[in-house]
Amino acid sequence: MGSEARKRSREKLREQREREKRAAKRNKTLLVLGGAALVVLLVVGVGYAVLTYGQGDEYDGPLATTTLQDDGSVVMADEGVEAPVVEVYADYQCPACRQFELLNGDLLKERAAEGEAIVHFRPVSIFAQQPVPISSNSLRAGAAARAAADHDLFVQYNDLLFENQPTEGREGFDVDELKGWFREAGGDDTQGAEFDERLDAEAEIVTEFTEKFLPALTQDATEQIGEETLGTMVLADLLKWGDENGHDSSFLDGTYTGEIIDATGTAYTRYSGDNAFRGTPSVYINGELLDNNSAMTARGLSEAIASAGPGEVETRPMGDGGDADNP
Amino acid sequence: MTDTPDDAAPRPPTRWETVQPWISLACRLGLAAVLITAAVTKFPPALSVQAVEAYDLFPHEIARLIGYTLPLFELALALLLLAGLATRYVGAVSAILMVVFIAGIFSAMARGLNIDCGCFGGGGQVEPGETTYGLSIARDIVFAALGAFIAIWPRSPFALDRTLGLYK
Repeated sequence: MGSEARKRSREKLREQREREKRAAKRNKTLLVLGGAALVVLLVVGVGYAVLTYGQGDEYDGPLATTTLQDDGSVVMADEGVEAPVVEVYADYQCPACRQFELLNGDLLKERAAEGEAIVHFRPVSIFAQQPVPISSNSLRAGAAARAAADHDLFVQYNDLLFENQPTEGREGFDVDELKGWFREAGGDDTQGAEFDERLDAEAEIVTEFTEKFLPALTQDATEQIGEETLGTMVLADLLKWGDENGHDSSFLDGTYTGEIIDATGTAYTRYSGDNAFRGTPSVYINGELLDNNSAMTARGLSEAIASAGPGEVETRPMGDGGDADNP
Repeated sequence: MTDTPDDAAPRPPTRWETVQPWISLACRLGLAAVLITAAVTKFPPALSVQAVEAYDLFPHEIARLIGYTLPLFELALALLLLAGLATRYVGAVSAILMVVFIAGIFSAMARGLNIDCGCFGGGGQVEPGETTYGLSIARDIVFAALGAFIAIWPRSPFALDRTLGLYK
């Protein structure tokens, strides 16, 4: 073999070695990539299974009896059931409330139907003092839910409102939609006519309140008592101040809009200390406020209900003798 | 120590070659810490879903899926960065993820939404004028830079890649 040929073969050998080295590296990289992909799949897959564990299927079974209470709230429990009382405070315009309802709404229906929980729906409007349309959406939906409760369709209507919640800050829950959902919830023609009439009246009150009455009152109060003090007052207190200072709020009397504003004010004073009502959604079991890990996970809520003893509903059924506040 | 080409004479490593692996390690640890914090603070997932829905970009089912799986994905990336497995690619994917976040925040800003980015828990509506889009974007740019550095210079100590013979 000549030196040329030897050189060529050495060259070839070297190239081949290089190729093999590159191939080995490529294989290693592929192996490492595969391993990494497997880790991602495992973490996401197992994690998802753990996080969604205990989230039941949709509940389509019969609902427990619902009873309208004299403060406009609704209790869902069959007659004579002894079980923990689960109070749910929610604002129809509040996105976290929507998540609570989507996540745990069916679980509550099921527990109530099984007689394992007394569910007390307490709609509020924590957004009543926000700018329009956040405030008006919140109040209009609250009043509509209350009107639906007159026809024993609260739970179904409550579901539809959260399902169709407008994005915060956008116009939504308009009167025609609200009327349509009442039919969808199961309202017949006679009920529908009554509902529509009531809703039209409430919608006018809401517009009057959010666009005229409240801005004027707020401006006056800001000038006279200062923004700082005003910031510490709940709406009910502000309305009281207004009544004493030339802003007559009597147009709210007897309306569902007024009722939900009252219910919201009462919520702030009902609990104290760690259990104080601060925002929505707030879920209480026998008067004890649940933290987010319990209220906002299916397993957490399920366990909290299972570990609580029987409780007492604080309100009285509508028309069952006198005021709620003086049992 | 390192595998130098057969016919090149061994030469002392440059200062960059000495320092870079430690910078890459710092980037890995830093980015992993960020991702773990981001994942943990998004719990419970129902609130994370709310943060995604506030962007108003996806139908509910998709928003729900993102709300549940995004924190898990962040967690998986963090674990891989800590282990130093597929370092280059994990760095690149992390950087791309940050760019996607930045695009999401820009889109919220452009549409005049008043939301919290939900980057580290929270999320949802905030008062007009209380948005912190600039800060969130700047933060994500820094995180993206960490990821890019790792992708460009994946060589670092304490990495499974190295044990397996990559990026020596």
